Amino acid sequence: MTTALAVRDFVAAFVLLNAVIAVVTYVTLLERKFAARMQSRIGPYRVGPHGLLQPIADALKLMMKEDVVPATSDRWVFNLAPLVFLIPCVLIFATIPFAPGLGLADLNIGVLFFLAVSALEIVGLFMAGWGSNNKYALLSAMRAVNQIISYDLPFIFAALIPVVLGGTLRLGGIVEAQRGLWFVAYPLLGQLGFLAYLVAMIAAENRVPFDILEAESELVAGFRVEYSGMKFALIQLAEYAHVIGTSYLGALLFLGGWLGPGPAWLGLIWLSLKALAVFLLVTWVRWSFVRIRVDQILGISWKLLLPATLSLLLVAAAVVAYSGGARGA
Amino acid sequence: MTLETAGFWGLAAVLLAGSLAVVLTKNLFHSVLYLAGALVATGGVFLLLDAAFLFGIQLLLYAGGVVTIVVFAIMLTERLVGERIRQTSRRLANGAIVSAAVFVGILMAVGQARLPTERPPLAGDVTRGLGEALLTRSVLSFELLAVLLVAALLGALYFARNDD
Repeated sequence: MTTALAVRDFVAAFVLLNAVIAVVTYVTLLERKFAARMQSRIGPYRVGPHGLLQPIADALKLMMKEDVVPATSDRWVFNLAPLVFLIPCVLIFATIPFAPGLGLADLNIGVLFFLAVSALEIVGLFMAGWGSNNKYALLSAMRAVNQIISYDLPFIFAALIPVVLGGTLRLGGIVEAQRGLWFVAYPLLGQLGFLAYLVAMIAAENRVPFDILEAESELVAGFRVEYSGMKFALIQLAEYAHVIGTSYLGALLFLGGWLGPGPAWLGLIWLSLKALAVFLLVTWVRWSFVRIRVDQILGISWKLLLPATLSLLLVAAAVVAYSGGARGA
Repeated sequence: MTLETAGFWGLAAVLLAGSLAVVLTKNLFHSVLYLAGALVATGGVFLLLDAAFLFGIQLLLYAGGVVTIVVFAIMLTERLVGERIRQTSRRLANGAIVSAAVFVGILMAVGQARLPTERPPLAGDVTRGLGEALLTRSVLSFELLAVLLVAALLGALYFARNDD
């Protein structure tokens, strides 16, 4: 690789990273406003016009707060955990194509890279839970491990359905295969697959109704209870980055990615609107349902979601085999 | 020195240090974290060899899956508070001798094989090639592994069931 190429890649990565952080910061405001509307409140309103400067005020406040490290914590593990948690959550954006040719790297193993890297997130999570040396944090980390073992497989299988239909692991190729028919509109297979994807996505992100590891009322805030100041901000940032990244993946896999009416440069806007729709759907669920019990969560995964996604994947493979090859291959 | 060579030596250092730390640290939990680091570094070696698919699988199955299960085991066996299980690592000397012997063996095998100085380029799509090899040439070992895994699963179920 020549130096010029390396510099260009570095600049592109820098721009993307900052864009992700900016978007994530404002997504928190969007979620708060959205939740407020659902509950007949107004939401953040005082800082700036319509509360538009609220995320910046929050970020400044978190940066200036005291950084408390518990005396009995496992200091290295405790301090490294937010970073180990954050890195996979922003790394997933490296392979997302935002429009034809616009993105850091449209890898030929794009979907696999996304799934593999986001599987690393759990390491940071239990580092935080363990390193805090706090009973609540440890309980939360145990629940997290439990839940993530259970929901990783359905999530992967659901994400593999479009891969089989499109005949490629490259995200750009999957989008091109949806020209004419988005995979969500694929008879039966698409709708059920998308539904399974959404449920597994909510569980993988530990959001209500699957938030047993956060559970404010019983575990205070779970694995992040001992974190304050900038480390807390990093954990929050990572969680929202993961939600946004998975929303983009859902839009690319099932909702036709950047395809839409109008000229090609509108692709970025189409994709972002679709990802936003997925995000709002997840948020809508979050603010409408109550937390369900641990055994129910595990039951849903092992008894319903896993067999369902596995058989959907088999049906998809059979459809592709008998209709003479995948659409994108 | 090319970027690839530099990357390899960096990864090799991380891999070696991580693997040694896995067996030498007293704290079991730290040992798992070093294991995760070593497994990710192994993935990096695959990446340097242009085997991106293997890199993804390595991360997904080992760094994501195996490490999670090991942590699960530690958390279930250790008491939540109070004294913690320590890694004892007895018979370090014997282990060192065996690993030195294995190292010398590998070194001799590599020394005898005449390897090209340039890495031969990969032919075609690695992912497709792997898939085809698994379902044609290596289909028997692939199926045997599946049977083995089912047997292990059934065995685990047998030991985990209630007696009543």
